[in-house]
Amino acid sequence: MAIVLVGVNHKTAPVEVRELLAFSREACAEGLRTLVDGEVVREGLIVSTCNRVEVLTATAGEHIAEGSKRIADFLTRSRGLPPNLIDDLLYNHNDDLAVRHIFRVASSLDSMVVGEPQVLGQVREAYSIALEAGTAGRVISRLIHHTFRVAKRVRNETGIAANAVSISYMAVELGKKIFGSLKGQSVLLIGAGEMAELSARHLVNAGVSNVWIVNRTEDSAQRLAQELGGKAVSFDRLSDYLPVADIVICSAAANEYLVTAAMAREALSRRRNRPAFFIDISVPRNLDPEIGQIPNAFVFDIDDLESVISSNIREREREAERAELIVDSEVMQFQQSLRVMEIGPSIGALRQKLQDIARAEMARQRSRLGTLTPEQEQAIESLLLSTVNKISHPLMNRMRRSYNAGDADSILAWREIFDLED
Amino acid sequence: MRPLLLAVLAAYVVAAIHSVLAFVNKRRALQRVSQVALAVGFILHTAALIADWILEGHYPLFGLRETLSFLAWTLVASYALVLYRYRTQALGSFTLPLVFVLTVVAVLIPASGDAQERSGLSATWLFPVHTTLLLFAYGAFFVVFVASVMYLLQERELKLKTFTAIFHRLPSLTTLNDIATTALAIGLTLLTVGIASGMLWSSSRDGLIWHNDPKEIFAVLTWLLYLLLILYRSTASWRGRRAAWLGVAGFALVLCTFLGARLMGGYHVFG
Repeated sequence: MAIVLVGVNHKTAPVEVRELLAFSREACAEGLRTLVDGEVVREGLIVSTCNRVEVLTATAGEHIAEGSKRIADFLTRSRGLPPNLIDDLLYNHNDDLAVRHIFRVASSLDSMVVGEPQVLGQVREAYSIALEAGTAGRVISRLIHHTFRVAKRVRNETGIAANAVSISYMAVELGKKIFGSLKGQSVLLIGAGEMAELSARHLVNAGVSNVWIVNRTEDSAQRLAQELGGKAVSFDRLSDYLPVADIVICSAAANEYLVTAAMAREALSRRRNRPAFFIDISVPRNLDPEIGQIPNAFVFDIDDLESVISSNIREREREAERAELIVDSEVMQFQQSLRVMEIGPSIGALRQKLQDIARAEMARQRSRLGTLTPEQEQAIESLLLSTVNKISHPLMNRMRRSYNAGDADSILAWREIFDLED
Repeated sequence: MRPLLLAVLAAYVVAAIHSVLAFVNKRRALQRVSQVALAVGFILHTAALIADWILEGHYPLFGLRETLSFLAWTLVASYALVLYRYRTQALGSFTLPLVFVLTVVAVLIPASGDAQERSGLSATWLFPVHTTLLLFAYGAFFVVFVASVMYLLQERELKLKTFTAIFHRLPSLTTLNDIATTALAIGLTLLTVGIASGMLWSSSRDGLIWHNDPKEIFAVLTWLLYLLLILYRSTASWRGRRAAWLGVAGFALVLCTFLGARLMGGYHVFG
């Protein structure tokens, strides 16, 4: 059996086309039942996310070309697309390349942001739909389970998901570079805004103890304070809280600097010079950039955060190289295990064939033996079968050992020698 | 103890290489290899020192060869302490290559020293105590030095917003500052007692506690600088860049103290 994968992703098709192709959960199940005919396409699975729509199948070895075409037609017809729309956008992978592709996809190496965590869950979901629809057979199941193992290996053995690539998580990552552990630290939030809120949430999850929120509108400050387990502080008390805040996140919409360099200097001095980390995600900036000149004070505006993100992405890409090596070696291992899987039945088939030969010869020569009692008949049959079994016993053992050792080549050789059909 | 030291050298070179690779590639497996190799090397090295002591009959800290070997051993012990307490491998990539170099030189230098002078000096227990304490102090100050250098590098990345590969591999400012502060306190204590024990020993030998010898002068200068540093640090919760630079400068003085006698003669030349 061959593995065939056909689909589009964010690199080959624009979002307008991808959204036309997208499959809902029900459409997936229905589509799979239509696509898998048992003759050409024997097993199937559909992965449909905002970044890709891919159909993974196990196709009969001698019908690969027909299978690919069938899948392409299926995609066009089932989604009601005009003909030839996606012809140039589809990619088509067979066997090794298909296995490599699904391994890479699940390990987030093919995603828009390498290392993103959602895609593995999406592949899991696709597999469970295929199981329900009854189109995930032996080959696809073995492949998908191996895929999960590869994704786990990549995640654990490389750092592709180690660094933050979102602005809101930057507060945690940079905070850790300055303070080490964030446990027991204090955060001051100036203004409200989704990004700042999200940052504060991440910080709380990372162990920050105190969260103070300053906002011109008392209500939103109170609401957020409650959600985060913090305290709302009135704006005129800002300078009181600056010295105690280790991290200050500013996302206000003011027109001047809410924290001046002088205020920061005073705060640092009252903190006995312990480091202070300022994040300014407002545009125009509400924290005086001169704060960065004060010893032990670090201020990051939105451009600075973007530049950390670029640096992190470069790190991820470096880690991705290592991940590709892991994928390469796992592809080879999978192909090996697939061949062994298909070859297991050979051992039984060989034994069966030898016994069939014995019985056939017995039947041919039967007439020469004249009348026999049932016991004699039985004895002759046993004689033949036990002779055949004794002859083939060492061979069976050898084949079983090869099967257990994953040595597909030997088994294939014996199949040829004994002329076993596929 | 030649063959044993060669085994130690082999273990150290494996540890050093893997430590540097682990730093560059951030792979945990490499770090583990480095740690295991280092542990093996350290145990063998300890055994070699003890064997030397027993077989040669005197404390194994006399002359350049033994000093370098003992110093390498001290640096490994210091790094192990930092690793245990702060769980950061980064210092290894700077420390272990130096340990390797020191051990190589120690292996290559032939054993020397006037046997009579050596046994005469080691007969009193004060001399070995004096030298050992000072060597431990140098180890501590080396930790201060490495932590200070890494602090300066990391702080620069954060201030200038450059975020090179270094940024992702160095530990946090707080960790580095803590390491430097603790090592400083330990180092200064050891240095104080070390110098005092030296003065005691010297006075029992020739009645003088001061000889205007280059090593003594550098030692006191070193002591003064680190005292200044510890006082400076105590005036605030945190002293960043300036304290780090002092930690670097202090180590330059430590080098002068360590090499002073050998290069400039004077009272402290003992073979």
